[in-house]
Amino acid sequence: MQREEKHFEITLDAVLQRLVDLKLSVLAMIQKLEMEYMDINWPTFLDNFALISSHLTGLTKILAKEQCPPLRNRTVLPLLVSMDRDEALINLTEGRVPVFSHDIVPDYLRTRPDPVTEQKMQQNEQKASNLTNDAAMKQVTQYNKVVSHVLDMVSKAREEWEIESNSRTGIQQTSSMADTQLLVAAVGMGKGLQFKANYGPGPGMMVPPSIRGPTPPMGGPSMSPGNVQQLGKAPSAVKTNIKSANQVHPFSR
Amino acid sequence: MAISSARESLSHALNNRFLPNLEYLLQGSILDSAVEHLMHRLKGLCDNVDTSPETFHDLEVCMSLRQPNTNQPLMLRVRRALGRDAPFQMRYLGQPEVDQRRPTLVRSCMDCACTNGILDFLTEMGFRLEFEYIAKGYMFRKGRMKITVSKLIKIVPGKQDMANEPISQSYIVELSVVAPTGQENVGEEMRVFAEQLKPLVQLEKIDYKRLGNIP
Repeated sequence: MQREEKHFEITLDAVLQRLVDLKLSVLAMIQKLEMEYMDINWPTFLDNFALISSHLTGLTKILAKEQCPPLRNRTVLPLLVSMDRDEALINLTEGRVPVFSHDIVPDYLRTRPDPVTEQKMQQNEQKASNLTNDAAMKQVTQYNKVVSHVLDMVSKAREEWEIESNSRTGIQQTSSMADTQLLVAAVGMGKGLQFKANYGPGPGMMVPPSIRGPTPPMGGPSMSPGNVQQLGKAPSAVKTNIKSANQVHPFSR
Repeated sequence: MAISSARESLSHALNNRFLPNLEYLLQGSILDSAVEHLMHRLKGLCDNVDTSPETFHDLEVCMSLRQPNTNQPLMLRVRRALGRDAPFQMRYLGQPEVDQRRPTLVRSCMDCACTNGILDFLTEMGFRLEFEYIAKGYMFRKGRMKITVSKLIKIVPGKQDMANEPISQSYIVELSVVAPTGQENVGEEMRVFAEQLKPLVQLEKIDYKRLGNIP
């Protein structure tokens, strides 16, 4: 417990220090504005702003830090509220707050909500008090109906989304590393494409039979020198045209 | 400056760095079941909206020449369109470089259009067939980036085309740019695009030389 108290005090000290810094820099700024408004220039003015904002950042950092004990769990209670002038208070606040009265407490100790919030609360309370019991019940059932409908929609969407994401993980396998390596090796080095059996010792077997014989339209004649004459007219007309044109052409050779 | 010969114009292009000779590449794959999904996304992302997807159906033949004094054979790839009359494409690809600092794989690359005599020519030079496959798929383009989604089909000796079987149950996806040297921002551009295709496809720089050791 004691350790906690100590921790709390340290934090409070740090926050206080920051607040004093902040106050000083705001003071300096105001002073500058009042005294040097004739010859103040933008950069120094902005520097002052930067100073203030850095103090603010420091303050938020301290408050947001995890070591900081949760300050909002603590309550500040006014122990003595009086209409009399309090000299000690005047000293403490540098002459800003002379009396700690009922007027001031809600604002200074934040025991009152924001004016806007307060107004809204009031409006709602008024509405509620004007309703009859029957109407209220009706509205409640209606509201429940709407909420359950929305819940239905959300859960349905979620179900659909889950199904979709499940099926997507199924599709996700769109490429396989093994296939990539296989294909790349095939394109690059002809891995798995060579037919060693067809390599004869003689120079005549340079182009394997697959090109020569059974697949003539694919390039047999043009690719194997030996068979051009034999297969002669078999391949596409275009190619023979090229050949004959070459022979006929007067400037080719 | 007047350029008189092809050789001179080539060296001129190289010296002035406007010859596109570096390929920036990212690769990945997509399962057959998800390819439609990927196509939709690519249609949305890429430039050729009105005409896309452009299809292709090519036969690629890789020829190699064993050189004296070196272990590495010289490899040339020849591609020809099946079912459409187009010049053959010959392509040289250099060693892939996987640099940690670059977002993509980089390799030197030379393309050249050829007549249909190129395979005969290479064979006469002593090249021999290393491997071949059919690539069938779709091509997209976004700025100077090229995106291909293709099925690789193995050619089974002694059977008709219909019997040729796909290599795997996936399409290979390649994102590439061929650019002159010294254009480092290409890689970044590609990385951003590849990011947009995730998680459908993981486009990565894959050093296939290293993959070769994995059985």
